[in-house]
Amino acid sequence: MSIIILTLWLGVLPLFVGSLVGNGLLKWKKNLPFIWISGQILLWALFQLICVPFILLQKDFAQLVRVYGGMCGLLAVLALLLGRKYWKKPAPKGVVVPAKEEGEKWRLCLWSVFCLLLVFQLVQALRLTYSDGDDAFYVAVASVAEESGYMYMKLPYTGGATGLDARHSLAPFPIWIAFLSRISGMQVVSVAHIVVPFFSILMVYGIYYLIGNKLFGRTGEKLPFFLVLTQLLFLFGGYSAYTAEKFLLARSRQGKAALAGLILPFLFFCFLLLLDRVQERQKVEGSIWTLLVSAMMAGCMCSTQGAELCGFLTVVFGICAAVGYRRWRILVPLAFCCLPAACYAVMYVLLR
Amino acid sequence: MQGIVRFQSFMGNGLIVEWYLISILYLMLREKRKQMRILFIYVPLALLLLFFNPLFTKLVLRMEDIYWRLLWLLPITMTLAYAAVTLYGRMKGKIRMVFALLLAALVMFSGNYIYDDGFVQAENPYHMPQAVVDICDAIEIEGREVMALFPDELLVYVRQYAPTVCMPYGREVFSRTTDLHVAVQEEVIDAQKLAVLAKAQGCHYVILPESREMRGSLLEYDYELFADMDGYEIYKDTTMYFGY
Repeated sequence: MSIIILTLWLGVLPLFVGSLVGNGLLKWKKNLPFIWISGQILLWALFQLICVPFILLQKDFAQLVRVYGGMCGLLAVLALLLGRKYWKKPAPKGVVVPAKEEGEKWRLCLWSVFCLLLVFQLVQALRLTYSDGDDAFYVAVASVAEESGYMYMKLPYTGGATGLDARHSLAPFPIWIAFLSRISGMQVVSVAHIVVPFFSILMVYGIYYLIGNKLFGRTGEKLPFFLVLTQLLFLFGGYSAYTAEKFLLARSRQGKAALAGLILPFLFFCFLLLLDRVQERQKVEGSIWTLLVSAMMAGCMCSTQGAELCGFLTVVFGICAAVGYRRWRILVPLAFCCLPAACYAVMYVLLR
Repeated sequence: MQGIVRFQSFMGNGLIVEWYLISILYLMLREKRKQMRILFIYVPLALLLLFFNPLFTKLVLRMEDIYWRLLWLLPITMTLAYAAVTLYGRMKGKIRMVFALLLAALVMFSGNYIYDDGFVQAENPYHMPQAVVDICDAIEIEGREVMALFPDELLVYVRQYAPTVCMPYGREVFSRTTDLHVAVQEEVIDAQKLAVLAKAQGCHYVILPESREMRGSLLEYDYELFADMDGYEIYKDTTMYFGY
C-alpha cells in the first residue's frame, strides 16, 4: 500500500500539476517527462512556500501535512479542470511520432543501452547503501518530525530539546521526506535511503532527457547517445568526493544532492528555453518564468545554499545573455525571478 | 590561491574535469549558435573567473568549507556530453559507431566508478546496519524516549532509525569530545568511571562491543546484562525509571 501511495504522489500527482505549466508551452505540452518534472518542481516550490512559515511559527508537523496535502489535492483538481480541453487536442506534428531514418538499429541499440543502464542504477539504489555522516543530521530531522511532530526543535544528533533551528529550517528537504513517510506509512529511513534515491535517479535522467531533447531533437540517434554518455559520466563521476554525480547517486536523501543533481540542471534547461525565445525574438511565455521561479524556490528547499547558488547562477546567466544579445530588458524579469531566493538568503543571514 | 587548491581537490584523481575544459575549448572553436555559446562557454567561463578571483573569494569566504560548491554551477556533464555528441554528429557511417564506443571507453577510463567507493550491500529494507535495528527495537519503549550510550561506529545511524532513542552524545563528539566519550574510548574501560558518568547523563542503557576490555564490571554498579546481540552487549541501568 505504501508503494502505491508513493507512486501516486511522486509519479501521478506531478503529471497533473505539471500540466498547469505544460499547457502554456505548446511544444512541450504532451511531453510526459517535461510535465512530470515540471510538476515535481512546482510541488517542491509549493512545499517551500508553505513549510517554512509553518516551521518558523513552530506549528505541528501534522498540521503541515494536512495543509500541504490539501493544497496539492486542490492543485490536482484545478489541473484536471483546466487541462481537460488541452489533453484532448492532438499533439503538434513532428513532436510525438519519431521519423524513421537510417541507423534505426543503432538508435534502438543506444536506447536499449540507456534503458539497461537506468535499470542497473535503480537496482543499485535498492540493493546498495552508502553511509554518510551528514545523514545523522538530515535523516534524523525527518525521523524526529515524523515521530514527534516537532520540526527543527530537537537536537537531531542526540535528541535533546532545543530552540528552533531557524537556519536549517529555511531548507526543509528533510521535512518533505517526513511528509512522504507520513502519507505513505513507510518508515522515514526507508523513504530516505530507498524511495528518494530511486525517484532522484528517474528524475535526473528525465531532466537530461529534456535537455537532450532541446539540444538534439527527439528523433535520431543523438538524443540516446547524449543520454548514454550522461549516464556514463554519472556512473564514473566518483573522481572526487565533491562531484554533483557522486552526491546524487550516493547521498540523494540530502537536499544538497538534489540541488546539485536535479535543480541546477533543471535551471539550465529553463535557460535553454529562455534563450530560444530570445534568439527568435519571441515573447517569453509566463510558464517559463513560472518554472524558473519554481526551480529557484525548489533550490531553496533543498539547501540553505540553494538560494545563493541558484540566484548567483541566474545573475551570471542573465548578464551573459544580456551582453550576448544586447537585450538588457531580459534582466528585469530575471531579477524578479531571483527575488524569492534573495528573500531566503536575507532570512538566512538574519536568522543564523 | 584558495580557489586553485579547491579546484584541484574538486578535480580529484580523474581526467573528467580536464576533458571538460577541452570541451569548452572545442565548443569555442566549433559552436556557432549563440545560445549554446552563452550556456556552455560564456556562463562557465564567467563562473570560473569569479571562482578564481581573490576578491570574490574573500567576499564569499564566510562559507569557506563549502566554497567548492560553486563548482556545481559548472554544467560539466551536460557540456561534455553535448560536445561529444556534436563531434559524433560530424562523423559518417560505421566510424560513428566506433567513435561512440571509444568515447564511452574514454569516459570509463577517465573517471572513477562510483559504486567502487563506499557503497556496501544493504542489510535490510532500512539500509541501516542490522545491529542498529536489532538494538533499537530491543530498547525502545512505546510512548516515551530512552537514553542510550552507543559505540562510535553506530552513532550516525541510531536516530535515523529510532528517533525516540536519545544519546548522551552524537556525531558532534568527533569534533567536541566529552568526559563520557573519553571514558568509553579508553583502551581498557574503567567500569566504575563509565557507570558514574553514564548515570550522570541519565543513560538507561549502555551498549558496548563484546570485544571491549573492561576493568571491573558494570554489573557491580546497578546494571544488568539486558541482551547480547550482533556482537554488542546491552547493559540496563536497574535504578532508572522505565515507566511512562
